[in-house]
Amino acid sequence: MLFFSYFKDLVGREVTVELKNDLAIRGTLHSVDQYLNIKLENTRVVDQDKYPHMLSVRNCFIRGSVVRYVQLPPEGVDVELLHDATRREARGG
Amino acid sequence: MTDLKIIGNRNSQQQPDIKLLRLLVDKKMATDAGLENLVDQIISVITNDGRNIVGVLKGFDQATNIILDESHERVYSTKEGVQQLVLGLYIIRGDNISIVGELDEELDASLDLSALRAHPLKPVIH
Amino acid sequence: MLPLSLLKTAQGHPMLVELKNGETYNGHLVNCDTWMNIHLREVICTSKDGDRFWRMPECYIRGNTIKYLRVPDEVIDKVQEDTKSRSDRKPPGVGRGRGRGREDTSSKAKGIGRGMEDGGGRGGGRGRGGVSGGRAGGSRGGGRG
Repeated sequence: MLFFSYFKDLVGREVTVELKNDLAIRGTLHSVDQYLNIKLENTRVVDQDKYPHMLSVRNCFIRGSVVRYVQLPPEGVDVELLHDATRREARGG
Repeated sequence: MTDLKIIGNRNSQQQPDIKLLRLLVDKKMATDAGLENLVDQIISVITNDGRNIVGVLKGFDQATNIILDESHERVYSTKEGVQQLVLGLYIIRGDNISIVGELDEELDASLDLSALRAHPLKPVIH
Repeated sequence: MLPLSLLKTAQGHPMLVELKNGETYNGHLVNCDTWMNIHLREVICTSKDGDRFWRMPECYIRGNTIKYLRVPDEVIDKVQEDTKSRSDRKPPGVGRGRGRGREDTSSKAKGIGRGMEDGGGRGGGRGRGGVSGGRAGGSRGGGRG
C-alpha cells in the first residue's frame, strides 16, 4: 500500500516511465491503481525518432507489470516522510 | 490532506475517520484509473511481444483483458512504411498487454504511416 | 462488456488462439471458464514459424498461456443481447459493483452512434471463415519470426 499511496501523492506531476521493453514515456501522472497501473496525460516518448509507435497517443494506460522504473521529480520525494511511512508499514500499522 | 501525509501522521486518535476518508479516495481513484473512459473509442495497444494493435475498445476487466473490435495490426519495419493487417474481433489477455493508448484521431490522420520507418518494438522481458 | 462474457458467447464458434510461445490453435470452442482455460474441438495447431501443422480432435488450453483470441465478428452482437436480458432479470447492485461500470458506458451518447455505424460496416464488408483466418495468423507468425 505504501507505494500506491506514494504514487497517488505524485498525481499531477511530470514523471518518466521506463518500460521493460526499453520504451520511456514522459507525461503528467493522472492516476494510479492498486496494481500500480499508471495513467499518463500529455505523453511523449523520450526517443521519438527511434520509437514512433505512439505518435498519435496523448493519453495512455501503462500496465504496472511492465514498468521498470518511474523517474520522479526531485521535489516530489520527501525522504523523512517515506522513512516514517516505511517504519509504520513494517510494524504493520 | 494527502494520503501519504495521513500515514505519516503520528496522531493515531484520528484513525477511524482517516480510514473512511482513505476508502473514499481509493474508490474514486479506482474508477479513475481504469479503462472506462476509453470504451467505444479507438485505442492503440502495445503488447508484450512488441506488436501494435489498433481497434475499438469494447470491454475490459480487472485483469486488463480487453475486447478490441475492428482491430488491425500496424507492422513497423525499417525496409518499408507501416503495413496494416486486418485482424477483426480480438480478446487480448491482460498479462500480454504493455500499454493501452487513447488514439487521437486527428493526430493519427496527420501521420503519413507509409513514410514511417522504425524497428519493431522489443518484447517485454520480465 | 466483459472479455470473458464475449468468450462464453463464442461457444460453438470457430476461433484462433495464439499462445505466448507463438503456437496458434484453430478450432471450435466447446467450453471455457473464468480463468480463460478453453476446450477446443477439431483443432489445427500451427507451430510458431507457421511451417508445421498438427490436426487433433480436441485440446484443452490453460488460460494463462494465451496471448490473444480471435473470434468471429458476429459474436460481439450476440453478447449484447445476452447481458441485456441477464441484467433485466437481476436486481441492480448484485454482483460486485459491476452495474456502475455499465451505467457509465451506456450513458455515452457518442459511443452509441459509433456502434451503429460499425455494425453496418461489419455486416457488409467482411466475412471470413475460421480456417482462412487461421492461415492468415500462421503465416504472419512466420513473417515476423
